[in-house]
Amino acid sequence: MDRLEMMGVFLSEVEEQLQLLEREILNLELQGESPAIIQSIFRAAHTLKGSSAAMDFEEMKRLTHEMENILDKIRNQRLPVTQQVVDVLFQCLDQLSGLKREIELEGATRTNVDAIVHQLQQLDNRLVENVGSEGRLSAVAGQPVKKWICKVRLSDQCEMKIARAYIVFNHIKNWASVIATEPDLNSISEDAAIQEISYYIATGLEPETFQYRLGELLDVEDVKVVPLLDERSVSVTEAGKDVEQENPPLIRSEKEGKKIGQTVRVGVDLLENIMNLVGELVIDQTRIAQVGNLMRDRYSSDETIDDLEQISNHFSRIIGELQGSVMKTRMLPIEQLFSRFPRMVRDLSRTLNKEVNLLLEGKETELDRTVIEEIGDPLIHLIRNAIDHGIEEAEVRKKRGKSPKGTIRIKAAHQENQVVLTVEDDGAGIHVQKVKESAIRKQLIPAQNAEMMSEQELIQLIFLPGFSTASSVNDISGRGVGMDIVRNHIEKLNGLIEVETRLGAGTKFTIKLPLTLAILRGLLIRLKETIYALPMSSVIEIVRLSKQEIRSIKGQAVVKIRDKIFPLIRLHDYFNMPSGGMNTQNVYIVVVGLAEKRLGLVVDELIGNQEIVVKSIGSYIGKIEGVSGATILGDGSVALILDVTGLFKMANNSN
Amino acid sequence: MEASQQDQYIVIEVGVDKYALKISEVYEILKMQKVTAVPNSKTFLEGVTNIRGNIVPVISLRKRFQLEERPEIHQTKIVVVNYHEELIGIVVDGVNQVTRFSKIQSSADIVSGVDGSFVQEIGQSEDGLIGILNLEQVLAG
Repeated sequence: MDRLEMMGVFLSEVEEQLQLLEREILNLELQGESPAIIQSIFRAAHTLKGSSAAMDFEEMKRLTHEMENILDKIRNQRLPVTQQVVDVLFQCLDQLSGLKREIELEGATRTNVDAIVHQLQQLDNRLVENVGSEGRLSAVAGQPVKKWICKVRLSDQCEMKIARAYIVFNHIKNWASVIATEPDLNSISEDAAIQEISYYIATGLEPETFQYRLGELLDVEDVKVVPLLDERSVSVTEAGKDVEQENPPLIRSEKEGKKIGQTVRVGVDLLENIMNLVGELVIDQTRIAQVGNLMRDRYSSDETIDDLEQISNHFSRIIGELQGSVMKTRMLPIEQLFSRFPRMVRDLSRTLNKEVNLLLEGKETELDRTVIEEIGDPLIHLIRNAIDHGIEEAEVRKKRGKSPKGTIRIKAAHQENQVVLTVEDDGAGIHVQKVKESAIRKQLIPAQNAEMMSEQELIQLIFLPGFSTASSVNDISGRGVGMDIVRNHIEKLNGLIEVETRLGAGTKFTIKLPLTLAILRGLLIRLKETIYALPMSSVIEIVRLSKQEIRSIKGQAVVKIRDKIFPLIRLHDYFNMPSGGMNTQNVYIVVVGLAEKRLGLVVDELIGNQEIVVKSIGSYIGKIEGVSGATILGDGSVALILDVTGLFKMANNSN
Repeated sequence: MEASQQDQYIVIEVGVDKYALKISEVYEILKMQKVTAVPNSKTFLEGVTNIRGNIVPVISLRKRFQLEERPEIHQTKIVVVNYHEELIGIVVDGVNQVTRFSKIQSSADIVSGVDGSFVQEIGQSEDGLIGILNLEQVLAG
């Protein structure tokens, strides 16, 4: 192996160990001193020391060596784990990440570690004064021990599966005692025999606390933890396994279990393909139903039509289920994303000197993987804002009669065909008057307009590009880009964002997203002879009004619905459709929403809503403003899907 | 151009003119079917249509050649071609026979009714001279 290859191996090892360190130090802070955690941190530091010495990265070696010293003292009960120790460990971690980045970019380290090494040594010096200090973080104890099955699937690329399985085993031992494994790690010699390993474990911890950590280990594809429910059935099978017990395996197994679930690895491409095929079926099913209706009209007394309808109904039910199952395979729990937040919140709240309690709810809520990828950044922005602008400093909170510790609650839940995410803080709330002043000062809106705006409208100003109330720009937020970015991301996903705020009581952002981007509920509308589809998730309401109710303010058509004024556009004009022919007294107006904005569309007819399969219109036609794709309707014809983001742009440009 | 003399061509009609398309470029020929208009796109784009579950753009040769519009008739067909790995439909007034050319020559010195770049070669057969469409030029733009 030449140095370049070794470098690759070294860097990936460092990365792995740093991740491990981060998790374990967080654990240490949350759960308090535990021999297993200390041991694990020690091992990571030790591994890093070994490899950095081998690669001649002196500074990294020196730092990890000092860490090892301290950890060794903690391990031998000669140094208590205090908040200060945890903080310094975190600093070490960041320092190490910094060194790693330097090595990656420049092949050598620049940063001097004297300062941090000194801090570590300081900890040690305080040893004498501080023994028995009450600052010691005490371990969480007394939780009842429960039994679980922890299923770990290794990636196909994993070179030495047995070795990896042992590593996983060692990790699990940090949090739980392992009763048995399936298959028995000692009895297999062939790597190929392992795909999924079930570890039967007993622990007082909630499985969520270590599930994702296991998932982040190298070569681990998937981790599932399920309760070991039926202990009796386990002991029954155990009875029949006398033979194996004569040969006590290396891994201490007290019980043997049977496989409960099996998984198969499937490529994302294949899933996409299946999804497309299901899409075809959805279309055909709508067509069959339509033909059925036609036949019914034509030969109403024919019994064969009854049969056809029955088959068609059954067909549509089956396809519905099939579609549901296929969608499920694309779903991931949002936990993947949530697991990034605790460390972030911890660091931010410390930097800003605020006390924050982070509550994550609905971690198991599943979303389409593409949606999860897109929603991370906006959530991070909202959390940053909540800590920076929302939560007050402890002193201020006390004065206001609140608990000194602020709370940020992030919640995910399913609501019909949507996912609702909320980010809520119990901080200061948004000061509407300040929002107004800031928007005027930055010339985002003319002063006279601001005077006419309602409180709710004023709050919406925070979504304008370039808006910020923060008087100083700092590292965390306040550059006035945050909310703008949040809105853009959510718009891209056909989602909506709403904000509720009470001065002094807190702010709550609600994000509503479609479950998946491949199939959506569409509202079919007709403009002249052409049918278009609108994503139902963007439709706020549909009203029928008399033409007289459409007013014009400075050339902009508007309509008043329940005391709110909505701007109105006729898509006919934008799509170059011949005008005229609107002889009817009444018009239909579909109000669409994009994040917090609203726009009324004049349509000629409402056709109904149905599941539509989103298809691309291809690169030959390319991007067309106001159109996001196309779908195939029940009669086999094509309808364009309107892109609400684009419609708002078109409406703006023409003004 | 010896090699291409063996190539087969299909002959299509647009207005009073006939053109030839290399059969290897043709994916299939369909009866005229419903085409959904796409706003604010290429001037000669007729719209999009559904071909076995695929959304396929359809262009009109009449619009491309700036001939006047004509109502659809029984003979109107969509010739589907493969263009840069995408299927594209071309609406024509009719599809005639398949033919071979005994001789193919450059059209540089022959003036054609349409923009010369669309027809760069002329094929000779028993039925006379037919301009061979240069798909690249016809579809681009």
